[in-house]
Amino acid sequence: MKLDSMLTCRKLAVGYEEGKPVLTDIDLEVHRGEIVALLGGSGSGKSTLLRTITGLQPPLAGGVTLLGEDMYTLDDDGRRALLRRTGMAFQQDALFGALTIQDNVALPVRELTKLPEPIICEMARMRLALVGLAGLEHRVPGMLSGGQRKRAALARASILDPEIIFCDEPSAGLDPVVAAELDATLLRFRDVLGITIVIVSHELESIRALADRAIMFGQGKMLASGTLPELEQSQNEEVYHYFHARSA
Amino acid sequence: MGNLAIPDAKGLYDCLKSVARRRDVRTIVLDLGNTERIDGAGMAVVSLGRTLAQRAGKRLEVANVDAQHRQALELNAIAPVVNDVKDAPPTWLEVLGTHMIGFYDGVLASVKLFGDAFSQLGHVITGKKKLPKGATSRFIVTMGIDALPIVCMLSALLGATLAFQGIVLLKRFGAGMFVADMTGLAVVREFAPMMTAIVLTGRNGAAIAAELGTMRVRGELDALDAMGISSSRFLLLPRLLALSFVQPALTLIAMFVGIAGALIVARLSLDLPASIFWARIVGRVDMMDFIHGLAKSFVFAQIIGFTGCYLGMRTTADPSSVGAATTRAVVVGIFLIILVDAIAATIGSLGGPS
Repeated sequence: MKLDSMLTCRKLAVGYEEGKPVLTDIDLEVHRGEIVALLGGSGSGKSTLLRTITGLQPPLAGGVTLLGEDMYTLDDDGRRALLRRTGMAFQQDALFGALTIQDNVALPVRELTKLPEPIICEMARMRLALVGLAGLEHRVPGMLSGGQRKRAALARASILDPEIIFCDEPSAGLDPVVAAELDATLLRFRDVLGITIVIVSHELESIRALADRAIMFGQGKMLASGTLPELEQSQNEEVYHYFHARSA
Repeated sequence: MGNLAIPDAKGLYDCLKSVARRRDVRTIVLDLGNTERIDGAGMAVVSLGRTLAQRAGKRLEVANVDAQHRQALELNAIAPVVNDVKDAPPTWLEVLGTHMIGFYDGVLASVKLFGDAFSQLGHVITGKKKLPKGATSRFIVTMGIDALPIVCMLSALLGATLAFQGIVLLKRFGAGMFVADMTGLAVVREFAPMMTAIVLTGRNGAAIAAELGTMRVRGELDALDAMGISSSRFLLLPRLLALSFVQPALTLIAMFVGIAGALIVARLSLDLPASIFWARIVGRVDMMDFIHGLAKSFVFAQIIGFTGCYLGMRTTADPSSVGAATTRAVVVGIFLIILVDAIAATIGSLGGPS
């Protein structure tokens, strides 16, 4: 059965301390094949929400349904099995410094499948080529630029063809050219490989290029949801200010 | 309908390998007409199949591919194999040369750091610069007071063990009471400075290397450089000064605790009165022995602090190098301490028995 809804949050409250939620009453839905951006100022709780959606931080209230499964009612094995169907690209790339880029990308395949080594190496090589890192397979992360490391992290997150990828600030700190290349890679993932993508980002240029929909957070709650043009014309003062701060 | 995905990839790969070996086959056709889904593993098998066929002088054709799959295959096909050539493994001579150059660079860098620290100390003494507020006193607490229980416990045990061994040997010659002379001199001149130094190397040297290494990984050392703040003054001097104070202090305490441990054993094993034991110690161990032990402990403090700081600061951005720096700080620190101790003992023995 094809699931149209990839991610649903119901009355979700996220945070690190009971009684002090960072975000409350989050109701959102992400559909198959969408690219959805989670927006908000620094400290608005976007990354905390992402951690809760990806099983890294239990919710204070409410529930998360990911790929048709209620994540926080699953036992540990069930949750791990569910998370194997997803990919996560961390803000700080989180590549293993002691492994080559190829071994970093191949790691999930080596650990989670019984595929023979030639197939694993070819998968890693092809995925690295897809993100524009052909020829850098044997470098360690320390030998790569920030943009290259982000792309390697994206290759690792996508190597098992997940149904949905979560990206935390994928283009933060990158120059416009590299950021545009990364955006193009994400679009290829969606258009060709059919992967649904949820992005947490501050980069309005990237969001304009990528996102079908955006959800804006602030003041501890969800402020607005819709297409980018809809949000840009929002009557909500904070949302309007977010999009028009530079032009003001 | 089927999938060309992870569960089926190995089977297809094995099949393509065996077909590529057959002499009666010139063209291999991979019919994807009934394939519903192709994942990364499937695409890798198609790519590997092409390579296998080419190597065997054959062709691999992919037939009946729908638009979506064709797009995915083409996307991967545009990525030609670019060899990131691995360097040939170095010969033993190159390895030796690399180590020698590394050693030479290390010596140069440590001399530079030592010189910089010395110059910064001069600035601090003359009042041109100041140490970070409260850092030295904080390190005195964490490096010294917190280490006091373990240093006392080990010193007492060491003094007791030394007395046990001495009594067994000296009793044979009817010279049991000389255990006081033996343990007093050994603890004050050698064991207390050495034991304290080894404990503080494992405790403080490792902690300093790990802390500064982590700061390097997090870019904090670069931030200091970028702000024009001397890392020698900001990081190294407070730790060295704290160690210069706590190491002799702990050594002095260890001397008395070690002697107390020996006294208890002598009292229990030989029934030797404490007053006689103490009188023998006072008659045998003079002020110069204490100064010898304390002077060594001061030098050991510089070794521990400098080794930890130097190796921590030399950490690369790779997190695994923090662990390596920590281990090296302990190993190098203990090696240098024993080396200096051996040199001091040799020089001390040149003046004849004290």
